[in-house]
This record gives sequence, C-alpha cells and structure tokens, in this order.
Amino acid sequence: MAATVRAPARMFQRLQQLARPRAPEPLPARLDRRRIYVLPTAFGLFFFVLLLTMGVGALNYNNNPALLLCLLLAGTALASLLHAHLQLSGLAVQAIDAEPVPAGHPLALRVHARADVARPRRGLEVRAGDTSAALHLDDGAGEAVLELPTAQRGWLDIGRLRISTTRPLGLARAWSWVWPDTPLLVYPAPEAHGPPLPEGAGDNVQARLHAAGDDVHHLRNWRRGDSRRAIAWKPSARRDQLLVREYEQPQGADVVIDWRGTAELPYEARIRRLARWVDEAERDQRRYVLRLPGQPALGPARGALHRHACLRALALLPEATHG
Amino acid sequence: MRKPARAAVVDPRSLPVTARAWCLAASFACQLPLLLQLPGWLGLAVGALAAVVAAIAWKRRLPAPLRAAVALAAVGLVLAGSGFSLGRDTGCALLAAMLAIKPVELFSWRDARSLLGFALFAPFATFLLDQGPLSLLLGLAGALVALAALWRLAELDAAVPTNPLPPVHAVGRRLWLVGRLALVGLPLALAAFWLFPRMASPMWGVPERAIAKPGLSGEMGPGDWLDLMGDDSPALRARFFGPVPERMQLYWRGPVLTDYDGRRWSRAEWTQGLPPAEVRVGGPVWDYELELEPTDRRFGVTLDLPLAEPDGTRLGHDHSTTSWRPLSSLRRWRLQSAAPAAYETELRPMLRTMALRLPAGFNPRTIALARQWRAEAGHGVAADEAVVQRFNDWVRSDFAYTLATNLPGRHAVDEFLFDEQEGFCEHYAGAFVVFMRAAGIPARVVTGYVGGYYNRFGDYWLVRREDAHAWAEVWYEGRGWVRADPTAAVAPERIYDTIANLSDDGGAGLRGLADMWDVGDWMRRGWNDFVLGFDATRQRQLLQPLGIRDLEMHQLIVLFAALAGLALAWMLWLVARGERERDPVLRAWHALGARYARLGLAPAPHEPARDWSARVLAARPQDTTLATLSARFSDWRYAAHPANPAAARTLILDLHRYRPAETSR
Repeated sequence: MAATVRAPARMFQRLQQLARPRAPEPLPARLDRRRIYVLPTAFGLFFFVLLLTMGVGALNYNNNPALLLCLLLAGTALASLLHAHLQLSGLAVQAIDAEPVPAGHPLALRVHARADVARPRRGLEVRAGDTSAALHLDDGAGEAVLELPTAQRGWLDIGRLRISTTRPLGLARAWSWVWPDTPLLVYPAPEAHGPPLPEGAGDNVQARLHAAGDDVHHLRNWRRGDSRRAIAWKPSARRDQLLVREYEQPQGADVVIDWRGTAELPYEARIRRLARWVDEAERDQRRYVLRLPGQPALGPARGALHRHACLRALALLPEATHG
Repeated sequence: MRKPARAAVVDPRSLPVTARAWCLAASFACQLPLLLQLPGWLGLAVGALAAVVAAIAWKRRLPAPLRAAVALAAVGLVLAGSGFSLGRDTGCALLAAMLAIKPVELFSWRDARSLLGFALFAPFATFLLDQGPLSLLLGLAGALVALAALWRLAELDAAVPTNPLPPVHAVGRRLWLVGRLALVGLPLALAAFWLFPRMASPMWGVPERAIAKPGLSGEMGPGDWLDLMGDDSPALRARFFGPVPERMQLYWRGPVLTDYDGRRWSRAEWTQGLPPAEVRVGGPVWDYELELEPTDRRFGVTLDLPLAEPDGTRLGHDHSTTSWRPLSSLRRWRLQSAAPAAYETELRPMLRTMALRLPAGFNPRTIALARQWRAEAGHGVAADEAVVQRFNDWVRSDFAYTLATNLPGRHAVDEFLFDEQEGFCEHYAGAFVVFMRAAGIPARVVTGYVGGYYNRFGDYWLVRREDAHAWAEVWYEGRGWVRADPTAAVAPERIYDTIANLSDDGGAGLRGLADMWDVGDWMRRGWNDFVLGFDATRQRQLLQPLGIRDLEMHQLIVLFAALAGLALAWMLWLVARGERERDPVLRAWHALGARYARLGLAPAPHEPARDWSARVLAARPQDTTLATLSARFSDWRYAAHPANPAAARTLILDLHRYRPAETSR
C-alpha cells in the first residue's frame, strides 16, 4: 500500500528534477520562458471537463450559440494560461538573505525580487518546502518573508524556491524554480540550562574577579549555576526574588571557552554548551576566546562579529563520527 | 432560541463575504436567461426558490437533512411541473432548480468554484432551448459575470490582499479585465467556430421540446390558431433570385388538411406516401432561398407549389413538405416553385371520395343550402365555378372579419354561416370546404402563411407567425386543384396588407422607424446566416467565394490548424507586448546594443553608456559616431533638466539609423 502511494510521488520528484534549474545558481536569477512552467490546477481540469461536455453537446445538436459560448470560454481560459505565464516572466530574484538563528527557531528568509517590466504582477507566492509567503511587487520591486523551520546547526539546505501564481482565473498555476546558491547558516541551539561561564578557566584571574571594592555593575535575576556568594540578599528580600550581583569586569579578565573543558558531555551537547557560553559572554559584555580542536583560537574579542565568528565555527563543526 | 448547531465546526478556509457575493451574483446572472425560457410559473417558482435559498444560506449554514429536503423538494417541483416527462425542457428546468439550491452548500473555495462551474452550464442550456437575441445577450453577460467571479476568487484565494477599490469601480474593473481576457481569446474561438470539423448528423437524437412553440400543427380546430396569429415573431424569410411573385401570389404552403370529423381538420397521413401529384407549370418559375425559423414540428412551408423537395424532407402527394427530423434549428432551403396551370387533372377515385367526404349528422342547414345551390346551378365545371362564385359573393356582402369569436357548438359551420357571420380564416376556409363538399365539389383546406413584409434594406421577404392563414383548394374537372380563398373575399386588406403598406401613408417618422426595424431584422438575418444556420454543409462551402466549391475534411483540418496557430500567435504577441520596453529612446538604445552584440562588443548590463563607447572606440578606432550617440544618450537620460521632445525624437531616429560597419574588423 505504502509503496503504491510512494511510487507516483517518486515519479513526480524525478520529473521535478528535470525542471530547470538543475543545480544551484548564483543570484540574481531572471525568470524567462525557458524556466516557467504552466499546468492546470484541479479546478482547471474540472473546467476543462466542463468545456468538453459543452463542446460535444453543442456539436451534437449543431447548436452554434452554445458552441460559440463554449469556444469563447475555452479561448478565455487559454488566454488566462498565457496571462499566468506572463505574471512570472521578466521577474528576477535579486537576492535572498536571513539572519542566522539558533537551530529550532524559525529562520526569517527574505526573498528580494524585482521585475524589469512594469506590468501588474498579482498573487505571487514564494514557497520553500511546506512554508509559503506572498510576494508583493508594488513598484517593480518587493520581498517575501518566509518563516523556515530549522532543526540542525550548520548550512541550511533550502533547496529550490518555487515562485508561483494562479492568477488571473485560478485555472492554471504558473511556476518557476529558483535554486539560490546563497548559503544560509543555522547556529547551534544553545543549551537551555547550564553552568555559568568558566571564569578564567585555568588562568589566575578568579580571585580578582570577585575582589571586594569592585564596582557593582548591576543586579540581575538569579540563574541556575550562580554561586551563592554572588546573591545579593538584601535587594532580593526587598524584591521577593533572588538577585545576583554582576560586577564590572576588569580588563584582561578574558573568558576562555574551551572545547576541552566539556569533555564529560556528549558531542552535540558540548557544542550546545559552548554556544550558550558564547551567548552569555556576549551578553555580559566580556571578552572571550573560543578554542576548538584543530582550529586556531578565536579571539579574544567581543561584539557581534566575534560572536558570529564563534557561533559559525561551532555551527560548522563536523558531525560526530563516533558515539 | 436557535442553538448554534455546528457553528463550532467552521471551515478554516471559509469564504470571505465578497467571494460569496460574487458567486451568488454570477449564479443569478447565469440563471436569468434560463429562467426566462422556462414556462412562466416554473421560472417564477425557481427564481423565488433561488432568492430564498440565497438569503437563508447567506445568514447561516443549514443542517444536512434540511439541505437534502430542499433538494428533493426542488427536484419534485420541477418533475411535477413537467408532468414527469424527461426531455430537454425538463433537464434544463432541473438544471435551473439545482443551480437555485446549490448556494446552500457554499462554504469553501471548492464549493464556490464548483458553483461557478455549474452556473456556466446555465447559458449553455438556455441556448439549447432558445437562440433569440435576448437569450444570447443575457447568456453571454452571465458567462462574463461568472468569469469575473472566478477572477475575484483567485484574487481572494491568493495570500495577497488586494488594494481596496470602491465597490462599484471594483465590479466594473473586474468585468473589464475579464472582458479583455475574453477578447484576447476571441480570434481563436472564432477560428475554431468556423473551421472546427462539424458533425454532419448528430451522435444522439435531439430531444424534442415538451412545450411547443406555436407553429403550423397539421390540425385545425376551433380557436387553435389564435395563439399563432397573436405571435409576431418571424416564421420564415425568403429571398428571391430572378422573378419575384406578386404580393397576391405569396401563399406559403404548409400542411394540407383533408379529413374532417365535424370539429377538427387534419391531414390524411396515408396520402403522404404517394408520389407528388403531377403539375403543369404556368407562368414564371420562382427561384428562392428559404430560411425557416425553428418550430420543433416536422411540417415545412414552401411557396405555392414546390417543384422538388428540399434536402431532408419529403414532398407529399398534396405538395406539402414534411421533414425527416423536427425543424428544431434554423433550416435553409434553396427551392424552385411555380404557380400551376394544371394541378392533378386526374383525381384518383379514392382521393376524390376523400375530398368529398363529410361526417354524418353535422351542419344540416349548410348541407341543405349547398344542395339547393347545386340544383339551381346544374352540372359541369361552369356550374361548379358558379357555386364557388356565389359563395364568395355571399361572404363578401354579408360577412365580417374578426378574431373575437365564440367557441362553436355541435354544428360549427351552420352557426358560422347562418348565425354569427363573422370570424377569421379558420372559419371561412372550413365553412367553404364543407359547403363545397356538400355541393359535390372536391375541396380541401390548405394551411400556411400568406403575404409577407418586404425588407428593402436586406432585399428579402419576412413572414411572421401572425401571417398564418388557412385557405382552400377546390378541384375542377380538367383544371385540377385551384386555390380559393374565401377570407380574401371578405377582408383582402387583412391578408395581403402588411406593415409596409401601413407605414407608406404613416408619414416620415414612421418611415424612419420602419427603416430601423428593417436594419434590425436584417442584422438578425445576418446572425442567422453566419451563426445559427452554420452547419457541416455550409462549412464545406465556406471558401466558395474563393472558387473552392467543397472543402474536404482534411483540407478543413489543415485550414483549422493554420488559423488556430495564427490566432494563438496573435494571443502570444498581444499578451507578450507588455514585455517590451516602453520608452522608445531606451528601446532604440538597446537595439543599438544588440547590433554591437553581433560584433562581439555587447554592452554589459552594468556598463555605463560612455564606458561602453570608450571600450568600443578602443577596439574600433573609427567608431566615433557611437561616442557622440552615447554622449547624447547619457545627456538625455541623466541630465538634470528634462530634454525637449524634439531632441528625443531626433535621438531615436539617429540611434535607429546608425549601423556599425562590419568591414573594419
């Protein structure tokens, strides 16, 4: 049973592979007649059967007005097919981009398109996998935002994007594939709960960190893994919740986020913990170093660029080959 | 308090109000022409049902059992209304009823689209019933609204919200958009219409209309013809080639009625199998083309005595035509007819007996008077003629013409001749034949049309149903059948006069009106000619004006393919025209770039005009013209102040004119 269901699907997939483009392509990609496909929708098929019935009836009775009506409808339907084709023709996908997100979060993929010819383009839809979004082209340019689900760190394979429309009559769908070779990165999902940042990790800075006389920077909510000593009891009593003192970090007190320091965890969990530490260090505005096996250390530095470099390195770590 | 039954189960993709409104409007628009074709009460009932169902379904969703009940009731209503006879009419009425109740399940996009699909069937069904101008107009309008509704559905169904227009503009604009789409498809539709191979004979039979339109019926009873004579729609049109008959000779011969049962006249069917009686032609032969409007009966009408039967018909012994099939669509016959000098001079005894037979026990006073006249006149042809003459004189002096008559009792002819002394052709013809038979002169009733209206605009004669007439034929020894029209004796103006005569003395205003009417009917005839009457035969003769007499099937297919291809190309060109660069200067500039592309020096998309010309100049030092052109082009395109139109025009010309020399390479 399952096999019989899957066979047409596989056929369809094989057919799809024949459709252009057959390999990832650099953007911008211009849609022209060689890569625009038009096929009737289910309603289009129903309409066709309707017209066929009418036509045979009209021919049989040699009823000319009925035949004329049928042919006019058929002519209009055909014109609508061409119309649907032209909604796509001349459209160019300029670029796609997306802010990297941790795995598990939806990735907001923006598809930028523009049309060379100022023709009204109506009802354009961009689809990737199971998600779709409308593409507005108001003044010849516009964008669609697709919420793509992400499951795994690393490069996200979005495959081919389908840009389609069923306008003007809903009788046929015109579509075209775009296969951008633009890489989209998904960061590893940070560990949800974990120990705090490894302070200094082996360097002799621990003592200086909590030395008396350091300026209290601010209070923040208690998180699991905070040391009891850092809890500010008095303010906590006033606010009815545990608050923790955060201190201004002295210069040079770099956090070292080291792959080797997490040896007790499984492979992917190690990556997730490191990702969490990167985020925490960034949030605490501290400089940090990321050490990964077989790579030069990243940093010490801080800021969005450094964070991205670190998370990218984590995201692109090879898959675990053993246990 | 009504509990919100099933309200919780709302379709996530339920229809927006606009979509429902469009669907209902389209369904009504498509139904309207069909409802007009149904018998009055049924049309009203179905229309009312549609309105009620739409109003209820608009507010709330009916539970399934109630929906089924409504459907059953509607079907029952239609079946009962048509007397449980299945045919084309019942089918069409059923379609209308189904369409009327379809909106009870208008919930999803799928429902909406299927409603529109079925709605498009309504104009189609209308055309099976009627092909008049009103039906055509309403039907096409309905189809247009349905397509516009499809357009709107596609708009609403897509994820993109459309810019809101004021409702009136939105409706008009959508109709215009769809109309334009239909215009794009029109050439292909027309090519297919003229050239798509037609069936010479239908695959399955044409179901007859259950409700007949008034037409000549092959019978004549009291009051039968009042319907017919009150109908001013066209019955036939005729166009003469060569001699045209006198107005007094325009007797269009239909069924000949010989049998009389005291009340009704009917055809003697058995004589239809006999070969046509022999005729000696006197006077000119009229060559004419006849166009019969559909009647759903099999009786044809021809001018006076046809010399041969038209295609697909049989000529009876009495020279009346009977078609093999009901004349349910427009028929066109090319015929020759003539007035007879002698028509069936030898009357077979059996036919003679039949033409003298009277039912016993009817009309004693008439029979008595006829016998008295016979006795006074004596015997022989001259005596027969004297009796006929005397009857006509009597009618002329004592009788009156009126359509307002009472239904007769048992002795209909007696009552007419001696009491009422007023009536119309039915009475005169019937009484005349009864009287002559009683006097021993073979006679019979002939039905058909008399006269006609000459359309000087289109050079043809129009005969309306109201021109229906009954006259008589009497048989004289040695001369055969001779036409005798007693009605003409009492009211000649009633028979021969038509609108043309009336309008002649009606003044200039009426003349203009008549002209307009002439043009209108001429256009109707053109439509008949080009569209309604187009069939396999006419298709084969399509290229006659070009000297090709008959198109073979394969030639037809080739022609069809060629024309359909052309129409498709036209469609492509028309819709793709929008691809073209709108600015003529840019177009000319791109054309120039294309010319250089042939030399391998195409401008890159990102390359400014001056950079490109500099690059070309480096490769072809003599190409200084390009440098000036590109300078002018950039000035035109990028200068801060707008260039004057004249300069733009000369720039376009120069850009088009310049050809890079190929020899220098």
